[in-house]
Amino acid sequence: MITRFITEVNTKFNPFSTAARSTRLFLSSLPANARNQGMKIDTKLLPRTSADPAMLQVKFKDGKEMNLDGAKLGIKGIIEEVDRHSRFLQKQADLNDG
Amino acid sequence: MSARLNCSSARCVGRAIKTQTASPLSRAAPAAVTLSQTSISSTRHYAVASQALPTALGKLQLPQDYVSPTKPPTARRPETRKSQMIRAYTALLRSTPLMLLFQHNNLTAVEWAAVRRELRRALREVPAPIAGPDGSAPVDITESIHFQVLRTRMFDVAFKVVEFFDAEEAAKLSNGYTHDLSQTAYEAIQAADTTNPNTAYAQISPLLEGPVAALTFPTVSPAHLAAALKLAAQSGLQKLLLVGGRVEGKAFDYQGVRWVGGIEGGLDGLRSQLVYMLQSAGLGITTALEGHSKGLWLALESRRSQLDEEQNPKKEEGEAPSS
Repeated sequence: MITRFITEVNTKFNPFSTAARSTRLFLSSLPANARNQGMKIDTKLLPRTSADPAMLQVKFKDGKEMNLDGAKLGIKGIIEEVDRHSRFLQKQADLNDG
Repeated sequence: MSARLNCSSARCVGRAIKTQTASPLSRAAPAAVTLSQTSISSTRHYAVASQALPTALGKLQLPQDYVSPTKPPTARRPETRKSQMIRAYTALLRSTPLMLLFQHNNLTAVEWAAVRRELRRALREVPAPIAGPDGSAPVDITESIHFQVLRTRMFDVAFKVVEFFDAEEAAKLSNGYTHDLSQTAYEAIQAADTTNPNTAYAQISPLLEGPVAALTFPTVSPAHLAAALKLAAQSGLQKLLLVGGRVEGKAFDYQGVRWVGGIEGGLDGLRSQLVYMLQSAGLGITTALEGHSKGLWLALESRRSQLDEEQNPKKEEGEAPSS
């Protein structure tokens, strides 16, 4: 997954719900040095009784915000959506540099 | 599953040689005799001291259904790492009343070392208990608190074995082995209803997804738990998420775990609180019950004195003319 262009990740999930699985896996797919490179990662855990759906909000360097529904997309779908925009940004960055 | 297993042949051979030397006369006995067990009715065969006839070593044979006592049949090969992992995890689950589950998001080796070092330091500062449970000698559990990464799939299987396999029930079966890798255990977890939300397994299994680490305590010690939670709440440990816990076989979320950490004095503290509550409740009941009877007594007493007063003046009036 291309994480260079992500500036902020906000998540909120109930770990006792099976629907939160992909959101949790997305958190674990962020690199070990993500926080050192200026990515803001904010996680909020919901209590066990809460029936709220998992929330995953990703912000990019160009200001685009994505609200992803982990229960519907699955971890592969989330990564696909994030990478789609990241590739676009990568292409622009390459053109500007070159 | 067939019960054909290797046995330690050295012992059998040694026994055969011993009988041979003890009775030199029996060399004339028929050579091709199998080393048969005496208990034919029993389906399980252990290597007991049998009255085997001396045999020629070349023709030494074990019965087809011979089972080594040190290596009972298993549902999966016991030599593999995964099998031993299941055994380790079942032992862990049975011996650990308090277990915290963390999601660890790409911690580096340096960070792991730092987390463990800080945990040790925080736990060492916890004052040792003055007395153990039931007035026994206190045990310092600090060295037995471990923070380990779990292999979630194997942990899941081990959890099922602990939750759904009743070894005592399986022991009643004719040929039921009761160890955790046995066929009976395997069948028990296959037949179990893992989706029933009332079971602890169904409640905790959603937590066992992705990278999970467990902090295990050998006793429910809120003082140690509070020290560990204080460490986990620090800002430097954002990569570790406390997703839940298992306390006395029940599932707890992070708020519940924090509540357990806030109990003063542990289980004994709770007990003393309960005793105090019951005592004060008893006091309240007695005063409440006494209050009514006291009120009634007071009312009657006042009425009596009133009546007395009403009667006495009459008497005085009646007595006065006579005197």
